Amino acid sequence: MRVPTKRQAAHRGAYQILAYTCKRQARYYSSVPNVVFEGPSPEKHEPLNDYSGPENGDTLNAYISAGKEELYPIHRTYYAVKNNIIFKIDPTTCGSAILQDYMSPFYATIATRFGRIYGLPLRTTNMDEFGMGSHSTNSHFGAVQNVPPYEKYSAGGSSGGSAVAVAAGPFKMALGTDTGGSVRLPAAYTGIVGFKPSYGFVSRFGVIPYANSLDTVGVLARTVAGVAESRLFHGYDAKDPTHATVEARTRMNANLANSDVCPLDIHDLGGRQHLKIGIPLEYNIAEMDSVVRQAWQETLEKLQSEGHTIVPVSLPNTKHALSAYYILAAAEAASNLSKYDGVRYGNRSSASDGAGDVLYSKTRGELFGEETKRRILLGSYTLSSSAIDNYFIKAQKIRRLVQRDFDRVFILNNPLRPSDEQFDLTDMDENVEMADKLGPSRVDFIICPTAPTLSPKLEEVVSQSPVESYMNDVFTVPASLAGLPAISVPFRLSSEDHETGAPPYVGIQVIGQYSDDWRVLAAGRVIEKLLGCTKHSQALRCCNANSQAPFYVTGPSSHHDYPPTEDFAIPVQKVQCDFDAKMRT
Amino acid sequence: MVRNPASALRKYLLGGRIGNSGCLFDRSKDVISHHRIHHGARTLQTDADHAQPDTAIPFRKQLKEEARKRKAELKESAKTKNRSLEQWELTVGIEIHAQLNTARKLFSSASSTFDAAPNTQVAYFDLALPGSQPIFQKETLIPALRAAIALNCRIQKTSKFDRKHYFHWDQPAGYQITQYYEPFAKDGHISLYPHDGIAKEDGDEVRIGIKQVQMEQDTAKTTTTLGDVHLLDFNRAGLPLIEIITQPQIHHPQTAAALVRKIQILLNSVDACVLGMQSGGLRADVNVSVRKRDDVGKGFEYGDVQGLGKRTEIKNLSSFKAVEDAIIAERDRQIALIEGGGFVEGETRGWNIGNPGTVRLRGKEGEVDYRYMPDPDIAPIVISDDLLDHVQNTLGVLPEEEIRLLVADYGVTTKDAMSLVSLDNGYRVEYFRNVVDHLVALTSRDVSAGSSKPQNASDEAVSQTLKLGRLANNWVLHELGGLISSEEHNKLDFTPEGLCQQISHEELATLIHYIETKRVTGRAAKRILVDLFANATEGTKVSLDELINSHGLWFTPLASEEYAAIAMRVFDEKVAQEILDGKEGKINYLVGNMIRLAEDGKVDPVEATQAMRKAIETFKASRG
Repeated sequence: MRVPTKRQAAHRGAYQILAYTCKRQARYYSSVPNVVFEGPSPEKHEPLNDYSGPENGDTLNAYISAGKEELYPIHRTYYAVKNNIIFKIDPTTCGSAILQDYMSPFYATIATRFGRIYGLPLRTTNMDEFGMGSHSTNSHFGAVQNVPPYEKYSAGGSSGGSAVAVAAGPFKMALGTDTGGSVRLPAAYTGIVGFKPSYGFVSRFGVIPYANSLDTVGVLARTVAGVAESRLFHGYDAKDPTHATVEARTRMNANLANSDVCPLDIHDLGGRQHLKIGIPLEYNIAEMDSVVRQAWQETLEKLQSEGHTIVPVSLPNTKHALSAYYILAAAEAASNLSKYDGVRYGNRSSASDGAGDVLYSKTRGELFGEETKRRILLGSYTLSSSAIDNYFIKAQKIRRLVQRDFDRVFILNNPLRPSDEQFDLTDMDENVEMADKLGPSRVDFIICPTAPTLSPKLEEVVSQSPVESYMNDVFTVPASLAGLPAISVPFRLSSEDHETGAPPYVGIQVIGQYSDDWRVLAAGRVIEKLLGCTKHSQALRCCNANSQAPFYVTGPSSHHDYPPTEDFAIPVQKVQCDFDAKMRT
Repeated sequence: MVRNPASALRKYLLGGRIGNSGCLFDRSKDVISHHRIHHGARTLQTDADHAQPDTAIPFRKQLKEEARKRKAELKESAKTKNRSLEQWELTVGIEIHAQLNTARKLFSSASSTFDAAPNTQVAYFDLALPGSQPIFQKETLIPALRAAIALNCRIQKTSKFDRKHYFHWDQPAGYQITQYYEPFAKDGHISLYPHDGIAKEDGDEVRIGIKQVQMEQDTAKTTTTLGDVHLLDFNRAGLPLIEIITQPQIHHPQTAAALVRKIQILLNSVDACVLGMQSGGLRADVNVSVRKRDDVGKGFEYGDVQGLGKRTEIKNLSSFKAVEDAIIAERDRQIALIEGGGFVEGETRGWNIGNPGTVRLRGKEGEVDYRYMPDPDIAPIVISDDLLDHVQNTLGVLPEEEIRLLVADYGVTTKDAMSLVSLDNGYRVEYFRNVVDHLVALTSRDVSAGSSKPQNASDEAVSQTLKLGRLANNWVLHELGGLISSEEHNKLDFTPEGLCQQISHEELATLIHYIETKRVTGRAAKRILVDLFANATEGTKVSLDELINSHGLWFTPLASEEYAAIAMRVFDEKVAQEILDGKEGKINYLVGNMIRLAEDGKVDPVEATQAMRKAIETFKASRG
């Protein structure tokens, strides 16, 4: 007789079961893609070798050249990318001195995708350091200016460089990142279209994080069609644990198909779809410029005259959203930025690592900008054991409330949450009309301004207190907290409305339910058509923008292969024609 | 594992009485001065030393004296200590870190191979490269679950990962990913018995609660320090660990060491962890507090235990002995401090071999606020019932049960069973079973060849396993153990299946069988085993039978006349008289002489005893 054998052969069975149960569970956690059994199996793995061995100082460089994938563009297109998305044509600086010379050994997933379709981008664009700012002024490489003749005005942030690259003419589109409005706000200030997809729809692998739970990769283009054709969405990327899985997407599509929402196809807006549009009463804040309010009003009137229904809705937790955002984003940023110590990569202070009170205090103190340091301190404080309950935890609760606010106004159910959720009506604004005894009418989209004011003067921005500048994000932050898709479409002010000399654009923002990205784009197109005036007419304004363009990241540019200069003189008119042709088909 | 400088070891071994020159007998000047400094506080007793420092006292004698003196002092201090220990209760909680046995790191697919060249098993995420993301390796869950189930924990359906922030060069991301808010396993317990080596005071059984078990990342390794420069090896960065946190329910240092040892055996037996404690795969932190026994109901609360004294934490203990010694040192320090009118501060302390006590590392004001934050990139881990069931059903036999079986079915003593189970990651006991299996097969073949009708076969088989098991244990545990020296090349390699490279279980079983069937003597067998091992380590493989042939060690029974002749040669009248006077045991002395006289292993003790008895009878008759 023999004692039962242990530790033999038991493993294999366990792994199979593991795979099976994980797959099953993924149904309930769409935002939990990493429990799905995918990714490399043990046999296939090739170890990543010789990265930083002291005797192998050169291998990093060898790596970079070896890792450079062959890129065969399908449609050579001129586009720019925000310099926190790793494209390896330039150092990925994030607008920071600490990463001034940082060449990553790998490409971002979106970079490989765009590289295959369009070729490598022509420029990396300037930004607020690590995405922290609303005016693209917090960059180590200098502030971004708006497009001439509005050089004295803010281009918005943090993807200001990308917005100017498109608005100024030479680029068909640009990639940006949107954490709390960083794509939408610059689009509004420069008069172009900026789109932020649902959280988890575009892989963040290779996108240097500011706040992981809020970061999304977005697109800026002159028209909604330009955004829609950018091929931003792509297949499942196992390298990003927060990327929506194939199963999750299938479920979302089914959710959309089974819902009562009116179908809306961006390529076929001819039919008379009647949308229900919500106006959040809480968004009509005192700080809003009258011109902005007027533009909002006018847009709504035009929509109504087209037969769409406008209803007031209530998002009662909006007033807390901004504070919650600045607590959560700062906390995640403080955590994410702990890795920049100059040891493995990045710049380093000439002083010893141990100099000063705390390890690395010299490197981090010298090389981070003021706003970055402010947010690291803020985030470190709100996470500290004495403050976390009052700040971080409360902010997380508010975030959930903000999400619920949105869930109860949209017709489409949130595919991430059970559909039979009941809402309490007591905290709702009393001006909201009830559709029936269950509550107010539900809507397809929410339409509101992107920012409460027109683009401010850069000199005003400098004199603003940090809190005042945070106010700019009040309309963009709620969608970010809830992970919703949103687009900013330009409303061009007529000259009588507008005497200040500021760029004459108001951003009109469309927010949709989670996973409703395509309908949001279509709704953006509906508004774009109604408002009539897009950058088409003004695109020629500054063809020569690549001469002294302030939106480019300064930095070494000799080591990569830009196309020859003559290639770079883009026939803007022709691009325009292509566009129109595409729009017709 | 902490490497101790030679100087520290020297201090520890002989209380610093060995000179730096390396030669023990060279009592040159610096040894003397060293000596003098050391004894400065005890001049009265060491006057003799001072009087004649140059007359060479034999070193061994000196050592003996010193040892005696130390022992006396220890006894004296132990007496006072015991007095104070009666009034004070010690309370200890332990945190044990163990590296999970998995192929990959916790959040990257880089290999967990150790012994690889530095910085060759590193993925982007392990270096915290900007833009890289953690991908939870689900396979790491399985050994973690095995460990948690073996510790009787409640497995949490949903668990989460958090970031623990602090700056250190071995922490590339600036935070460690761990499970702070929602660990995957909670509320376990482990029972310890006298055979586990618990303190006498703990009685027959002591049950220690496990507060929680959590998964977390290991840090990079600082390989060399050259002045201000540290060289880092990131192969270790991101390896999966589990941290086991016990309730503060341990009251004796010996029990603490027993607990750590038992947890290591347990983790090995369920195949959860890679290495034993002595090789660095297991590290322990202990927290220690003392309170007056009559002071119940006041004080602090740690874990689920209330009314404790202020505790201190001792970090990074890497051996069982260190756990025990550090706790003793810290207990004594705290008692002395409070009895001297002071109070204990909550602080982190360190302990090294060679230091008489624990050393303060940092106080409360130096504590880091870890700013725990849920990791926004890592989804909750959901563990399903069917996975849990599967792991539970395939867990196999736990050591407690295995020891019971070894004792009951194989006739091994509890102490030996413990050793068998704990040796070579538990592979030794598999080897042992293989040897017994083979031995039983050999014996039954002989039996069936001899007699055609086995009576009551199963009973016989059981008693045979008992007998053979006991015999085999002696060889597997003690004789094999005797072969291994501390030197690197002198080792036995066992596989998880219980195979041995140097001495196969068939060979050992056959050898034991030869002894049983009197084809070789035990003494000869020991010699054969040594040769077998020597051949294996040199790489020359000679079969067992050839080896016995070549040395001519086959046992050829001597004729009874030969026995008688040998008996006569060693016969001693005086001893014989003593035997006749009733000192029966003395016969063994004579038999022993017979065995020694004859050629290697030729003399069978039983036959020899008979021959000797005959000789004594003859002697008696001749006198009578």
